Amino acid sequence: MPRLLIVEDDDRIRLSLRLALEDEGYVVRDVATAEAGLAEHRSDPADLVLVDLMLPGMDGFDCIRAIRRLGDVPIVVVSARDDTHDVVAALEAGADDYVVKPVAVKELSARLRALRRRASGTGEGSPSAQVFGEIELRPDAGEVLLAGEPVHLTRTEFRLLCELADQSGRVLSRQQLLNRVWGYDVYGDERLVDVHVGRLRRKVERDPANPVHVLTVRGLGYKLAP
Amino acid sequence: MRAAPWRSVGLRARITSVFALGAFAVSAALAGSTYELTRQSLIDERERSSVRAAYFDAALIRQGLGGQDPDLANLLRSLDTGEARRPLVRRDGQWFARTADDGVTDAVPGALRRMVEEGTPAVQRVDLNAEPALVVGVPLPDGSTFYEITELRELRRTLTVLATVLALVALVTTISGASVGWWVSRHVLRPLADVARAAGSIASGDLSARVDRDRDPDLDTLAVAFNQMVDEVSARSEADRRFAADVSHELRSPLQTLSAATSVLDRRREQLDDRSAAAVDLLSAEVARFESLVTDLLELAKADRPADRRPTDVVALTRAVATSRRLPPEVVDSDRETAVLHVDPRRYEQLLVNLLDNAANHGGGAVRIGLAVTGDVLRLEVDDEGPGVPPEERELVFDRFARGRAASARGGSEGTGLGLALISQHVQAHRGTVEVLDRPGGGARFAVTLPGCPA
Repeated sequence: MPRLLIVEDDDRIRLSLRLALEDEGYVVRDVATAEAGLAEHRSDPADLVLVDLMLPGMDGFDCIRAIRRLGDVPIVVVSARDDTHDVVAALEAGADDYVVKPVAVKELSARLRALRRRASGTGEGSPSAQVFGEIELRPDAGEVLLAGEPVHLTRTEFRLLCELADQSGRVLSRQQLLNRVWGYDVYGDERLVDVHVGRLRRKVERDPANPVHVLTVRGLGYKLAP
Repeated sequence: MRAAPWRSVGLRARITSVFALGAFAVSAALAGSTYELTRQSLIDERERSSVRAAYFDAALIRQGLGGQDPDLANLLRSLDTGEARRPLVRRDGQWFARTADDGVTDAVPGALRRMVEEGTPAVQRVDLNAEPALVVGVPLPDGSTFYEITELRELRRTLTVLATVLALVALVTTISGASVGWWVSRHVLRPLADVARAAGSIASGDLSARVDRDRDPDLDTLAVAFNQMVDEVSARSEADRRFAADVSHELRSPLQTLSAATSVLDRRREQLDDRSAAAVDLLSAEVARFESLVTDLLELAKADRPADRRPTDVVALTRAVATSRRLPPEVVDSDRETAVLHVDPRRYEQLLVNLLDNAANHGGGAVRIGLAVTGDVLRLEVDDEGPGVPPEERELVFDRFARGRAASARGGSEGTGLGLALISQHVQAHRGTVEVLDRPGGGARFAVTLPGCPA
């Protein structure tokens, strides 16, 4: 059973989410502060983390950054704030997804399931390794090499790269990527894709400002070029 | 009340034309009077010299007539008249001239001739071969009469040149007047243009736009007052935004608890007795409605922000929404498979979802989602087979918390009453239109037109 850590300062929300997500089959631990959440995650890493942004003491953004430094566990922000500024800042800090309160438990559960999905189980018959210029992608080993050196990607960044690689140079729209990587079936927030592509570029491009592999196709979406 | 046509002309054009008209009036008056005075004095001068010359010539003829059997033609020829003057003598009812030019004798008017024959010298202006000329008549002592016709062709030419020059001067003055008007109006109207530009930026959401101060103290008051107004508006709008954010947080948090707790209860519905199960059903239905009410309200509060347009495949998005609403794929009636337009995808999704909700709540569900793209304009139609919307309610349904009479008659409590208001806001953010029509064959048709936008 996946183990879930909830960092939320509102006692009632924390308790109700815990009850509802336990019903969905998660083993839930909950803490009220970012500091407690970090300590908890350090001593016994969770499989998924839910973080509120407005927390007493250390705020949600710092909490996300600190957890991200510890590993690539999927992090979902559950916040009452829906300003573009907050969404982008949280994603830049390292969050994998962002949902706005109130979120239905079924919806939240679907988001968490999508993030837990195995990386690139999609490519039936896809080669065990694919090469795009300096980038070598090994989906079965869950590895990415840049000029022979291993690059550390989060689970979501890795899935994003795999989805682009599976298209062998064709363009994927942001909505298609939201559907394939994040499991959105209707309209999802395109900022999610843009920020993650930016993060991916910083890891696999020599000059992230002038990418040569992870390319933006204006008006259409993204593609991976050799 | 219709505006007078003059009012529809721009202020700048009006100032320019007033300047041009003023310059024209002044220069035309000056040119006209100059011409008239010059002409009068030239003609008077000419008349005096002609009369002097005629008297001098008449005196010579009189001396000649004193001799025996004078040869009048020779006498006339001996006069030093130049080309412009033509002397004539009438004696015993017969004309004598230097040459046989009959036209010249016809040019002497009968009235003048009679006056001169009665012994009174006279002057008259006449036309000679379509050129102006002057006839001077002088009676001679022996009863014969002397006439001299002076052609004024030179004078006419001089006057034509003068008129042309004066007309040109008037024209140049008028054009200069118009240019001065154009320049002055630009100078005067520049602060207004600046204010208009700033107001435009503010209207499209850029509250940081301000007007530059003007060096001219008269114009500077406008800039200062405008900037003060914008400061206040943006402060108020910032306060509103903060309030909305606070309210949003305060409403969203308890709703999150309600939503999660209700889902825990819902999961155990089977284990509850009938009364508790009914209560849980009510609870979860109302929590869901409360949730969408708050979401819609918060959305409405920020819906006047500009649309976040990006290239969007509206056909794909429409099909995705229809599928998520469990509508059969054939409901989407589009003439093309893909259409990338510059719209705000989040707003488009919401307005389509709200139209579908509206059709589901009041019209028994959508039976057709029509998509047609002409150029970069999208027309979206959502049809249902419900009772339709009576014409007198077609404007009102887009008001907040307005629900159709048909809906209340059915005791409908679905929906938040904000869905159509939100649609109207999303459409306005795209500068589009939304209207309710009759669906051919019965029911309502909600038609949305969204003008696209160049990249």
